[in-house]
Amino acid sequence: MKLVGIVGSNAEQSYNRLLLKYIATHFAEIVDVEVLEIRDVPMFSQDDDQSANPAIQYLNRKIMAADGVIIATPEHNHTIPASLKNTLEWLSYQLHPLDGKPVMIVGASYYDQGSSRAQLHLRQVLDAPGVNAVVMPGNEFLLGTVKEAFDDAHNLKDADTVAFLQTCLGKFLQFVKVTQAMNQPQPEELPTEDLTASGSIDTTIEGIDKEAEDWVEQAAAKVGAISGNQYVQLDRGILTVDQLNALLASLPMEITYADSNNQSLYYNLNRQPADEMFAPRQPGQAGNPLAKCHPKAAQKHVEWVIQQLRAGKQDVVRMHVPKHGDDQFVVHNYQALHATDGQYMGINEYILDFKPIVDWYLAQTGQTLAGGQVDAVSSASKTQSAPAASAEPTMPVVDAVSSASKKS
Amino acid sequence: MKQFIGIVGSNSRQSTNRELLQFMQQRFESEATIEIIDLNQIPLFDKPSDFQVPAAVTEIAAKITAADGVIISTPEYDHSVPAVLTSLLAWLSYKIYPLLDKPVMIIGASYGGLGSSRAQSHLRQILDAPEIKARVMPSSEFLLGNSLAAFDEHGQLKSADQVQKLDGLLADFLVFVGITEQLNHAHEMAQKEAAHFSWENL
Repeated sequence: MKLVGIVGSNAEQSYNRLLLKYIATHFAEIVDVEVLEIRDVPMFSQDDDQSANPAIQYLNRKIMAADGVIIATPEHNHTIPASLKNTLEWLSYQLHPLDGKPVMIVGASYYDQGSSRAQLHLRQVLDAPGVNAVVMPGNEFLLGTVKEAFDDAHNLKDADTVAFLQTCLGKFLQFVKVTQAMNQPQPEELPTEDLTASGSIDTTIEGIDKEAEDWVEQAAAKVGAISGNQYVQLDRGILTVDQLNALLASLPMEITYADSNNQSLYYNLNRQPADEMFAPRQPGQAGNPLAKCHPKAAQKHVEWVIQQLRAGKQDVVRMHVPKHGDDQFVVHNYQALHATDGQYMGINEYILDFKPIVDWYLAQTGQTLAGGQVDAVSSASKTQSAPAASAEPTMPVVDAVSSASKKS
Repeated sequence: MKQFIGIVGSNSRQSTNRELLQFMQQRFESEATIEIIDLNQIPLFDKPSDFQVPAAVTEIAAKITAADGVIISTPEYDHSVPAVLTSLLAWLSYKIYPLLDKPVMIIGASYGGLGSSRAQSHLRQILDAPEIKARVMPSSEFLLGNSLAAFDEHGQLKSADQVQKLDGLLADFLVFVGITEQLNHAHEMAQKEAAHFSWENL
């Protein structure tokens, strides 16, 4: 295993450098530690990007190539030295070598404190989204009254201190392995989804072009589907087809049913003008495979949603679609359907504006929303730390921009 | 009329923290003069071999010494204060101690929603360090989130609530400066301690 140790000070004489060199030599049989300096790193400025500077590039390369990083920090005015903070700013601006990297913090100081406050600040800094290091918790190594700590040969004098340092380092080597395992891609791969609905299931109506404009009429003729005032027995009740249609059309939402073969079979608001719908549907869409209902760019996300639902990872996937403006809060909900025996039967995509529901509730109860309006940007640290990289949530976006039902 | 120094806690040309100080400068012109200081000339702190404090720093130090109080407006970089501000404070506690017992008000602006909250709490701890020992106004906080959208085209803070809050804080700071002038019994001793402090002689 290969580690690098960063001297958190640009001073000519530094006990933290001494500490890292001691770790490098004393524990050489356990681990290979290369000591790195930050002396030549220029002052950080957003206006003058010097990420290509050799001193910064050197640190970047060395850190990237290492399995883990030890940072030794002094304490200056209750915090880490400006030179260390400065280095971390460069390493979280255009370059991000510490992203996901296991880090161990140690520190030495002249006073009893042993850099305790600086170490806590350093933890917070390393946790910022642009840095995104994985800092080992606990195992705080504080070397106080450091002028007394080393002998003439630069060895730590106190046997207990050495033993504790060895314990911390041993745990860190384990921690590096744990972190590497954590960073591995998840082994479980869900089966791919055939969005072209090329297969068939028990209920698939065979022999009719799924993409035909009059698929509904052809399919109805083929199976002798009932309509109008004929009765259908439901669980629990009996309705005519007309009653059933009226009932479904009266729901305060748009619903769509795609079966477990990924064929879109139904939508409920056929009588409403398409341009008044949150996701405009066309009569010819009924019967289409899902691949035909979604733009190409969105299909990976559609597949992801179906995988989650079919595998039972989630019962519902919700997606706020902000394109309708502030007066509405339109959410696409992908709800898994199941037979009584639990078998996956497809998706109910229901699209609902939550805003009138919330407004009605507030009006009836005389309440107001705390903080006025909902803050759409919950991860403020994303733009908070100016030089930091963004930390967007990795949830796939299902048709958040283009409508979920746009005909491709 | 009080004389204040307003320190922009970043070295970038485009800074909403500078905008915030400029807004205060204009709004409170009948209560105080606020001179705004930029940090783009501050070198990274190291212990210089010639033990000389850079001229850019001594200039700022002289202004702080002459002022009644200091307002620091800090952005947040990586959950903390920018290195350039840490650097300035390191220089201002190296052989010169202009912030000793000086009334300080902390404010800050950030692009995100949090308004540099974590940087401000770090800054408080830093200003409390034995070689700085500033008198930071307690129980006050001014966090300007989403700062890119906070000002109109005339540099005015758009939110009436935020303006009202700032009015209150500045009025408090003027009182705080007066109170701090009376908190002078330990000043001489603290000055002596800071000046005679030497890491090497510990």
